[in-house]
Amino acid sequence: MWLKLLLVAFFLMSLLGAFVLAPKPQLRVNNNTVDARRPDSRRLRLLTWNIGNGDLESETRAHTEDLPAVARVIKDNDPDAVALQELTGEDQLRLLLAHLSNRYRGYVCSPGSADRTDAVLVKDNSGDTARTNRGRRRVDHDGDVRFSNVPAGDRFAAAVTFRLKTDLPQIVLVSAHADAFSAARRRAFAEVVVDWARVQPRNALVFIAGDFNLEVNTRNKNDLFTDDAKHDSESYAYLLKYFRDLGRDAGETSINDRRIDYVFGPETASQSRAEVLRGAAVGRMDHLPLLVEVEL
Amino acid sequence: MFTQLRLETLKLVRSKSFYLSFAALAAFVLLMLWGFYSYAQQKTNGLATEQFKYTYESKSYFNGLTFALYSVMFSFSLLIPIFVAMTAGSQIAGERQAGTLRMICVRPVSRVSLLLSKFLVVAFYTYLLVSFFIGLNLLVGLLFVGWGNLDLYPGPLNLVDAPGQILRDEALWRFFYASFSGTWALLVVAAIAMLFSVLFENPVTAVASTLALYLMLYIVGRIEFFAALRPFFFTTDVDFWREVLKPEVPWPNVWHYAGTCGAYIFGLLLTAVVIFDRKDITN
Repeated sequence: MWLKLLLVAFFLMSLLGAFVLAPKPQLRVNNNTVDARRPDSRRLRLLTWNIGNGDLESETRAHTEDLPAVARVIKDNDPDAVALQELTGEDQLRLLLAHLSNRYRGYVCSPGSADRTDAVLVKDNSGDTARTNRGRRRVDHDGDVRFSNVPAGDRFAAAVTFRLKTDLPQIVLVSAHADAFSAARRRAFAEVVVDWARVQPRNALVFIAGDFNLEVNTRNKNDLFTDDAKHDSESYAYLLKYFRDLGRDAGETSINDRRIDYVFGPETASQSRAEVLRGAAVGRMDHLPLLVEVEL
Repeated sequence: MFTQLRLETLKLVRSKSFYLSFAALAAFVLLMLWGFYSYAQQKTNGLATEQFKYTYESKSYFNGLTFALYSVMFSFSLLIPIFVAMTAGSQIAGERQAGTLRMICVRPVSRVSLLLSKFLVVAFYTYLLVSFFIGLNLLVGLLFVGWGNLDLYPGPLNLVDAPGQILRDEALWRFFYASFSGTWALLVVAAIAMLFSVLFENPVTAVASTLALYLMLYIVGRIEFFAALRPFFFTTDVDFWREVLKPEVPWPNVWHYAGTCGAYIFGLLLTAVVIFDRKDITN
């Protein structure tokens, strides 16, 4: 009888231990690490969003009817610069800028062999005092904004170079979209983009944002070694060799609980916020915007 | 109880399946060595950087600890549970099939202590198997691949979210911890097999049922359709054993899942004990 009682005791102790020691849910948003008294103008706010649609749609690129909602999210969150992916082309960019009341300047990269293109937006507040009076953050770039194509194999990424304030370092933001179907192509793409970022002026702060289509978190339960997993691992490791994954704690950014959208920033960047804007997607969008704020 | 334990241990050690499991694991290690060795050679002979500029797979990355980690990870979920289920599943049902169960039960020993001593022997066997496998991997790794630190990268084994490193001596301790966490995780499979061994007349049915249940939940737990059900599978909880191989061991997680596995083990054993105690043994 005592053996049975012992088993009951062990069973109850294990059950109790499992409940008491249950891990607390991880805090997804990290927005309290920087001293709030620091002037707001030294903080850089970046947003990346693949505004394309799920594979079940006949048109998987961005839908023009979704652009007002995209503009609303951008306006509400007031980022200094935005990286967008899966636009159809310049027409959609122009429309989006119009929905943004021309508060931003933008650029779409050449599509290359792809049927979709990436875009970068940067705040255009030169001489607009009315807006700053309404409490909006401004980018005093004095017209010193440079857009460029980042050649990456047979496709391109979009880049913008600007300054938040004239006394702050130059910022380079790359909007990138890696191949969704081939891990080897993703790896080659990541290498080219990182190498391009590394040759930027030394004092410039380079951020690479976008949909890398690679998922390397431990949520995947496949224990076996595959070439694709290995390529994605190498891509991520190469990016982390020179950059920090600023959205690491923000959680999943795509349907099926996948974290495939990233903002990589300089190792020295002091991160103050990383948040996936849940509920921002409209229509059949399969990604969520990732907002990252860093102290310069 | 001690006599019982001694007898059960003797029975186990004299069975062919005992040696078969060790031989099979040793063969797996040799196969892994061949695969790992040729892969490492291919990746470090200068041709590897033809297609891509960067790779972390350098000569220092491929070492005995990395080899042991890969080998243990690959085999743990799908190979070792087979031997554990085989041994545990044949404990009661095997005696019944051999016609010795009735004779054992008429001896002045309680059925509860009989079943528990059988389970303790299975637990000892499981620890022996896991520690032999880890030890053999480390030894083969040291002799044939070489020593170094354990570098971990996110992706292939899904062990870490960010690149990390465990220094050589610390890594050896981690493998030592893994021998305990691994054994504890496998005891859930052993407890299921013990229960089925009590329920079924035939050891083959008991082992097959255990493996069917284990593999079904293991596979289903890895399919995205069932992501919502995943937390309710014991196969999800038993995965905790690998946490000790992370650069920073998440101890609260380890204790939580160890507790959950404990609840499975003792709950299943209790059920097996209650059923076995009341069971009419007719042959």
